[in-house]
Amino acid sequence: MDISSTDFNGTGYVASEQLLSAVNVAVTLQKPLLIKGEPGTGKTMLADAVARSLGKKLIIWNIKSTSKAQEGLYMYDTIQRLYDGQFGEEGVDDIARYIKLGKLGEAFRSDEQVILLIDEIDKADLEFPNDLLWELDQMEFYIHETKETVRAKHRPIVIITSNAEKELPDAFLRRCIFHYIDFPDPELMEEIVRVHLPDIEDNLLKQAFEVFYDIRAMKDVRKKPSTSELIDWLNVLQLGGIPADEIRKKLPFVGVIIKKDEDLEVVKQKMV
Amino acid sequence: MFTKFFYDLREAGLKVTFAEFLTLQEALDKGLANNSLTDFYYLSRMILVKSETEYDKFDMVFDSNFKGAHYEPEVGANMLKWLDKSELEEFIAETERRWLNQMEDLQIDKDDVEEKFKARLKDQDSEHNGGSHWIGTMGKTSFGNTGGNVGGVRVGGKTGYQSAFAVIGAKKYRDFRDDRIIDNRQFMQALRKLRSFSARLDVPKTELDIDGTINKTCNNGGMLEIVMEKPRKNTVKLLMLMDSGGTMIPYSGLMNELFQSVTKSNHYKDIKVYYFHNCIYSKLYNTPECENGDWIDTEWIFKNLSSDYKVIIVGDAAMAPEELYSDSGNYRGPNGGLSGWEWLLLMKRHYKRIVWMNPKMAVGHAPWREAETAVKTIFPMYRLTVDGLNRAMTWLMTGK
Repeated sequence: MDISSTDFNGTGYVASEQLLSAVNVAVTLQKPLLIKGEPGTGKTMLADAVARSLGKKLIIWNIKSTSKAQEGLYMYDTIQRLYDGQFGEEGVDDIARYIKLGKLGEAFRSDEQVILLIDEIDKADLEFPNDLLWELDQMEFYIHETKETVRAKHRPIVIITSNAEKELPDAFLRRCIFHYIDFPDPELMEEIVRVHLPDIEDNLLKQAFEVFYDIRAMKDVRKKPSTSELIDWLNVLQLGGIPADEIRKKLPFVGVIIKKDEDLEVVKQKMV
Repeated sequence: MFTKFFYDLREAGLKVTFAEFLTLQEALDKGLANNSLTDFYYLSRMILVKSETEYDKFDMVFDSNFKGAHYEPEVGANMLKWLDKSELEEFIAETERRWLNQMEDLQIDKDDVEEKFKARLKDQDSEHNGGSHWIGTMGKTSFGNTGGNVGGVRVGGKTGYQSAFAVIGAKKYRDFRDDRIIDNRQFMQALRKLRSFSARLDVPKTELDIDGTINKTCNNGGMLEIVMEKPRKNTVKLLMLMDSGGTMIPYSGLMNELFQSVTKSNHYKDIKVYYFHNCIYSKLYNTPECENGDWIDTEWIFKNLSSDYKVIIVGDAAMAPEELYSDSGNYRGPNGGLSGWEWLLLMKRHYKRIVWMNPKMAVGHAPWREAETAVKTIFPMYRLTVDGLNRAMTWLMTGK
C-alpha cells in the first residue's frame, strides 16, 4: 500500500519525500489528509497522482462558497417526485428512487476503495467541516427519508485541500493529518520542470530560474508567480528561441508569470 | 519522555489534544517512524501540528526535547530596551555585513557549518522567544546564501529529507509566524472574526426559505406552503479611532491597509472611523489630517453611538506623559478641561468592549514607556500583528 516516489513516475507529479510520507501515514492511520499550500503548488494534482499510482478511482468534490455538507451526502429530489406524482408515473411510492447520493455518498457506496478529494474546503461556511465530522469519522450517514444507513464498504482515502482562506475548526483539524506544501526549492523545481519540459536547455533554465526566484523574493510583489506559471514561461521562452542571456535584461514574455500591472512595475524597476 | 514532549508542546501554546497524541502513539506502534528521528520529527509534526504558522513553535519544543538543547525564554529588561530602538534597520545591515564577511573567511566543511549553525540557532531562539523580529532577520541573513525569501536559510542543498535539525535550524516557517506584521488580506481575515449573526437574536421571520418552501409544497402534493426563516445578518457595530500623530507616520502604510480592510468589510451593521492626534480629547477628527474645525465632539459619540459598539483604538500610545496627564492637553485641539487620561477613562466607562491596537508595542513589561504602560492599565492592548489582531478580535467578541 505504501507509495514511494517511483510510483509517481508516469503521473507527471513530483512530490517531496515528506509529502509522500504524509500520504502514507494518512492511509495507514485511516485519517483524512489535509493539504495546505500556496496556490499553484499542486495540492489538487496530488490526489490525482495518488489515485493513479494506486490504481484507484478518484472522486472529486469541489467545494464552493454555497456548498452545504448535506450536498455531499445525499439530496432528496422532492420536485421530481411531485412531477412524477402528477403525471401518474410508476414508483412514486418508492422514496429511494428520489434520493440522489452526493460525492461522499458515492465514495461510500463504491464497491472498491476510492480516493475522495474534497477540494478547497475552506471556501464553504465556517460550519461546513464540522458538519462532516461524524461522516468522516464513522464513514456512514443516515438517510432520514428512507430510514436507511449508508455505510462505506471500503473506507475511502480522503484528501482535503485548503487555501487557508478561512481558519478551519479545531475539532475538524484534530482528526486530520496535516501537511503544508512548501514552495519548491530550485532543486525540486528543476526536477518538476524536467518532467514537463524534458529537453529544455540548461543555460536557459538557469537564467530563468534566477529571475523567477528573484521575483518571488521581492516583498512588494503581490501575486507571487507559481510553479505552473514558471513552466508556461519556460515553454514560451523555449519556443520563442530566446537566448538565455537576454532573459534578465529584457524580461521577455514576463506577462506569463506577472499578472498584475503594479507587480510588473515593481519587477521592471528592480530588474532594469 | 514522550509525555513530557506532549506537555511541553501544550506549554508552548500548541493546542495539541490527547486524541492527537494517541494517534501519534498509534502511528509509532505501526512503525511509521521507521526508527528514525528525522521520520519521527515529520510524523509527529504532521499529526500534532495543524497550521504552518505553528511549525516554528513545534520546532523549538522538538529540539529542546530531543536534542537536549536548552532554550532560555527569559530575556533581560536591558535587552528589551535595546531591542526597542528604532535604528534596527542599520543594525541589521551592519550585522549582516559582519557575518557574511566571517562566513567567507571560513573554510566551509559541513560539520563545521552545522556546529556554527546550531550555536547561532540557539542564540537566535533565546532571543526569538523574546518575540523580536530583527533577530529572526539576522539569523536569515547570516546564512542566507540562496536568497530565496521563505526558505532563505539552507545548509547543504539537497532535496527531500534533510536532517531534522537542519530543517529546524532553517527556520523556514518563520515568515508564517503569527506574530509578523500583517497585510491587508490577513487584516480582513482577522476582522471577519467580528461577527454575530442575528438568527440567534429574537427577530421576526422575514425571509422566504426557498428550499423549505419547495420541500413542504412538494410533500403537500403541490399545494403551496410558504416557509419563512430569520435573516442571518451580522449585528456587529464598529467604532474605530486612529491615531494620526507624528509618531505614527512610519506606520501610515499599515494604517492605510487597516483602514481599507475595515471599510471594505461590508458585513458590519455600522462602521464609524475617526482620528485623533496622540491622545483622545474632547474632539475627534473626521480626516487623518486632523484639521481644526473638521471634527465632532467626543461627547457626541458617547450620546449617539451606543455602548454596544465595539471600539478599536489604533495608536502607538507614545504620547509624552504631559499629553496624557496635563489638564491642558496637547498643543493642538481643545480638550474640554480634562486630561487625555480622563478622556480615556470616559471612553472605557461608556463602551463595553474597547481594545487598543499598537503597531510598536513593547514586548513584555516595558516600564520605560510610561504612557504605553499607563494606557495598558485601562485597555487591553495588543500588537498590530496577525496574532495580536486575532486575539484582539476574539477579545472584542468574547471578552476573553
